[in-house]
Amino acid sequence: MSESELGRKWDRCLADAVVKIGTGFGLGIVFSLTFFKRRMWPLAFGSGMGLGMAYSNCQHDFQAPYLLHGKYVKEQEQ
Amino acid sequence: MVARVWSLMRFLIKGSVAGGAVYLVYDQELLGPSDKSQAALQKAGEVVPPAMYQFSQYVCQQTGLQIPQLPAPPKIDFPIRDSWNAGIMTVMSALSVAPSKAREYSKEGWEYVKARTK
Repeated sequence: MSESELGRKWDRCLADAVVKIGTGFGLGIVFSLTFFKRRMWPLAFGSGMGLGMAYSNCQHDFQAPYLLHGKYVKEQEQ
Repeated sequence: MVARVWSLMRFLIKGSVAGGAVYLVYDQELLGPSDKSQAALQKAGEVVPPAMYQFSQYVCQQTGLQIPQLPAPPKIDFPIRDSWNAGIMTVMSALSVAPSKAREYSKEGWEYVKARTK
């Protein structure tokens, strides 16, 4: 794996971790306010789930070096 | 009767808010593969600052408050990533040659002491 590819993987991992932990935290806030009487455990649970999912994704990404990652390109309207 | 209807309404409102949040996460694929998360973060970085600016402008117009213009942050041209990588490589190469260099220097020192004591 080249150094630039390694750097891109790390960038992808960090961005993924930020999004997943934030999403888990946000969902935890929503469920804590709506169903669980403003307890703290849904926030911890959601953040922990997001962190675990991000870790799992990173692990697969680093252990499968031959998978290609594509970019989404918007279609140009003609 | 009214209390039961009200508690049912509350449950429906809470359920719809929670369900909407879950659907939003599912629709934007925030908990999916890392590519989609990275794209979502990039999209958020492009959309959120102009939206915040427009909202602040709207609040200023409605309330008549004037938010002072903050000075622009200083642009740093220092390439942190390159210098960090160069620093790591220098440290690691120094550590890798450290034993042989230590042996060489100690041998030279020993030769010097031997020559001086003759």
